[in-house]
Amino acid sequence: MTALDLLGMTLVSATPLLFAVVGGLVSELAGVINFALEGMMLAGAFAAVWASWASGSPWIGLLAGAGAGLLVGLLHGVASVILRANQIVSSIALNLLAAGATGMLLHQVFGAYGTSPTVAALPTLHALVPVPAAAAVSVMVPLAWLPVLVVGLGLERTVPGWRLRACGENPEAARAAGVPVTTVRLLAVAVSGLLAGLGGVSLAIGDLSQFVENLTHGRGYLAIAALILGRWKPFGVLAAALLFGFGQAAAEFLAVRWAGFPSQVFLAFPYLLCLLVLLGGRGIHRPPSALGRW
Amino acid sequence: MTSPRELIQNGLPLVAVGTACCVLLALVTGNRPVDLILTVVGGAWGSAESAMATLSKTPPLLLTGLAVSLAYRVGLLNIGGEGQLTLGALTTALVARSDWGLPGGFGLLPSLVCGAAAGALWAAPAMWLRQHRGVHEVISTLLLNYLALHLADYLVRGPLGDGSAMGRSAEIAPAAVIQPWFGSAVGGLGPAPLMALLLALGAWFWLERTVWGFEARAVGTNRQAAAAAGIAVSGWQWRLFLMSGALAGLAGGIEVAAVHHRFYAAFSPGYGYDGITVAFLAGADPAWLWAGALLLAGLRATDKWLQLALGISPNAIFVIEAVLLLTVACRTALAAGLERGFGRIAARLRSAGGGSS
Repeated sequence: MTALDLLGMTLVSATPLLFAVVGGLVSELAGVINFALEGMMLAGAFAAVWASWASGSPWIGLLAGAGAGLLVGLLHGVASVILRANQIVSSIALNLLAAGATGMLLHQVFGAYGTSPTVAALPTLHALVPVPAAAAVSVMVPLAWLPVLVVGLGLERTVPGWRLRACGENPEAARAAGVPVTTVRLLAVAVSGLLAGLGGVSLAIGDLSQFVENLTHGRGYLAIAALILGRWKPFGVLAAALLFGFGQAAAEFLAVRWAGFPSQVFLAFPYLLCLLVLLGGRGIHRPPSALGRW
Repeated sequence: MTSPRELIQNGLPLVAVGTACCVLLALVTGNRPVDLILTVVGGAWGSAESAMATLSKTPPLLLTGLAVSLAYRVGLLNIGGEGQLTLGALTTALVARSDWGLPGGFGLLPSLVCGAAAGALWAAPAMWLRQHRGVHEVISTLLLNYLALHLADYLVRGPLGDGSAMGRSAEIAPAAVIQPWFGSAVGGLGPAPLMALLLALGAWFWLERTVWGFEARAVGTNRQAAAAAGIAVSGWQWRLFLMSGALAGLAGGIEVAAVHHRFYAAFSPGYGYDGITVAFLAGADPAWLWAGALLLAGLRATDKWLQLALGISPNAIFVIEAVLLLTVACRTALAAGLERGFGRIAARLRSAGGGSS
């Protein structure tokens, strides 16, 4: 393996995180805590595999995955924005719901416990760039950069972006200025779900071509950590997602090199890296002022 | 304590939503709703053996529920119960391998105390991160969970295992076992549920009837007001968060001492996360945790019957649990909305009646 492989693995590992962290950014800048990214990704991953299996087209799978994420996002929105549930508890419940429902449907749909059959996966970049390394890189990897750019520019440079951030900083003032706070927040959580769902899609039919029970394995939580580390700034979270992607890639890279080492060290490495980075961070990270409030 | 009236108000929507969820699950999986509900209820309480199995599942649920509740009462959310429980169980199993020569029931103490300490130790970094780095404790405790699970997995398969390829530690000394009152040594029912219940009631008394408990609750209700009244806010948050970790660790320790008598790889079937549901079902009131723990223990005891009798994946239990948790989370708004709606209808009826007369 070479440094180029490591770079490729970093980009691949960062992809689901990147989708999810931008989703989290949209939701939290509008003032809604979204710890349900994990569940949204899981729902997106399962729906992608299911639809790809049923239709034979991974593109239908991609749409279904985005739709499933959107649906979980809407559930979180209805519970936490309209019914004013504790946003963290609602998130935890939705993560549990996604874990339970995907596990149950896996058995119902495919008659299997644990893993689904192999389905059609999204194309890789090999068709465009005929180098061997590109064969492991799905189209989702470059696509993941699109939301960062669009959301980043949109939040900083456009009126709807300012309105969205106003809902997260000072909802009373936003409401007084005529911004429909509830609608904006609901939309933000829904978009957040859609993006996180795409993160799940990139795992299930981008990197792999099947669904495995608890496929996301805490990536949604890593995405929230990346959100904190990136200080709720679009290019900050991009850098944080790349760092955690590098952590995962380095762990996989070293697991091959140092095969004699206990595997748990490598499995735990991304989470350890994440904690250490948070421990070493300077100063208090300030979330949007009205995060979790109405 | 909650009044019986409040209990009915809070309990009825849960029963209704839980039943609706079971009906929906039955329809999705092609079963008759009646069969599913009978399996869920009967699997947990249908016979003396199943009731005993359900009861023996309550201690870890009650204690992790208490752990979440205590932290929540000072405004903190400890999602790290799973990791704290796992390391508590591992530590208890390791300390309990040797007989410490203590008289009678004291033989339990060294291992359980060490288990609780391990849980508290694993909770501490999250609190430090919150106070010094502004990192929300939900994230740090979750990350610590993943670390704890991998760490315990490595230790029990490697240096601290019993040498077999089973991924388990050596069996604990008889002095450290919580002996059952009924049934066999494994799968019998002992004093553990009672111990957990007494701890929960003790916590209730401490919170509601002592000055310290009052100070702690004041921190959770209104941090600014508590600080203005001279209460050490961060001190109480530290103390209750460590206590929370210790209780989760103890949950693991009691599970080792009463049920498994050793530590296994993949020890906890999610008891740490179930504690969150138990706590919120009980409104984070230690006096009512037993009800949430019984409900969850019943669901847990049922999952294998769902699979055997109806061919439904045990994951269905998580769906029911999630729907219940979501209902509890939205309960205040739902109740207020219903009341407002009824109030509006009543007002309209009244004004309509007044207009015609």
